[in-house]
Amino acid sequence: MHVDNNRFPRLPWIILGLGIVFLAIGSYIGLFVAPPEALMGQVQRIMYVHVPTAWNALLAMTFAFVCAVMFLFRSAWKWDARMEAAIEVGVVLAFLLCCQGAIWAKPTWGVWWDWDPRLTTTAVLLFAFLGILALRKFVDDPARRAIWSAVATIIAYVDVPIVYYSVRWWNSLHQLQSSPSTVSRQFWLPLRMNAFGILFLMTAFIMLRARVASMRLAQELVPPPAVGESV
Amino acid sequence: MLTAALRKELLLQWRSRAQFMAVFVFGAAALLLFSFAVGPVAELLRQFSAGFLWLGLLLSSTLTLAESFHAEMENRAMEGLLLLPANPRALYYGKAIANWLQLTLLGIALIPVMVVLYDAGTTRIPLLILVIALGAAGLSAPGTLYAAMTAQVRSKQTLLPLLLFPLIVPALLASVKATSLIILGDPMNQVRSWIVLLVSFDAIYWSLCGILFGKVVEE
Amino acid sequence: MNGMIPGGWGFVVAAYSVTAIVLAVYGASVIARLRNEITRRSHD
Repeated sequence: MHVDNNRFPRLPWIILGLGIVFLAIGSYIGLFVAPPEALMGQVQRIMYVHVPTAWNALLAMTFAFVCAVMFLFRSAWKWDARMEAAIEVGVVLAFLLCCQGAIWAKPTWGVWWDWDPRLTTTAVLLFAFLGILALRKFVDDPARRAIWSAVATIIAYVDVPIVYYSVRWWNSLHQLQSSPSTVSRQFWLPLRMNAFGILFLMTAFIMLRARVASMRLAQELVPPPAVGESV
Repeated sequence: MLTAALRKELLLQWRSRAQFMAVFVFGAAALLLFSFAVGPVAELLRQFSAGFLWLGLLLSSTLTLAESFHAEMENRAMEGLLLLPANPRALYYGKAIANWLQLTLLGIALIPVMVVLYDAGTTRIPLLILVIALGAAGLSAPGTLYAAMTAQVRSKQTLLPLLLFPLIVPALLASVKATSLIILGDPMNQVRSWIVLLVSFDAIYWSLCGILFGKVVEE
Repeated sequence: MNGMIPGGWGFVVAAYSVTAIVLAVYGASVIARLRNEITRRSHD
């Protein structure tokens, strides 16, 4: 039963290398070359990693959603493996996003968390997808695990815009501050480089993690012949 | 099909009304505990009363939802399978509606507790009941789906709230805000927007979960 | 050179470090698990 898709075994490593290079260069430019921003000073530099992380976290979650739908329609195991990888990577990026957001918020607003709608939605999403990972851990049957986590992923992803709008409305009634995360035009270079850097890293991580998942699935679906035991 | 399933569910719930009483006591106890978190400061308690009510209802929902597939699990618990009739969709909506009714009744039953403990009275009772019904609907649609899943899994008590709580954040926000406005006053008539949000959430999840339920219980 | 927020460098360094550390640790964990699966498979 073909679960592994290893046509280009070296590809993830190449992409990983590219990602590290792009992220290193982009971070260097963002840290030392780009001038500090007028209003926020040095703290603005955090945006050069925060915004790319945000884009990629959402991308990972979206890819997880696509894999979930594909699995329910096509019932091919590779989609389950990819979905598991995308969810895990998405959780890591969402967690990172919350850390970066807190580190940015403290000098800016004086508190570790400013209930920014985007960040708060990310936090909710983080918990939702952690729950799905927990669900996968507790279900032993591969078919059921795949179907259930696909269903849960779809339900959680559909919730994302709803959570965002409800938090935004809820937030706007209490606070008037908005989080300025737009970066002015002339500073786009480090932003773009880091965006590609993290994109490549994320892609490589998902590919490698999906490979791990496929191999484990292959092991689960064809159990080794037991000596002298009946099934 | 649906009415038969619904009738069976309501009968099951009527038979286990002692359990409903227990959950009500749990919810009321939760409301009491929340007041200890704040202290006997009347103004603060009144301000947070909506939040406490809905948190209490949310916590109680994990108990009622977890029970809802108990009957189906009885005989096939060993295999971790549900005992199913031919039509999963009728089963889903029957259970979801029964859970919704139970949660709504629970919410209504907790109103006097809230009024007494937090001095959170209001004259707009019908509107409050509407909000409770809509919020309960938001809890019971995904809750019933996840209850079906987790009924068949070990560690079910942890998994159900773990999966449900992040998901229902919009319903929780909207319900708390709407209830708060009803209790504390709503000069700009914002309740309507929150009710619209609740109705949208309910519409989306009552349809989506119904569609997906078949996948969850097929063998 | 500085804007309205003084002494931001500490936080900037923290943010970039957290990013690098989280990504590196997770990457290492994926690679370790992959190696694990490959060796387990070759033993079958």
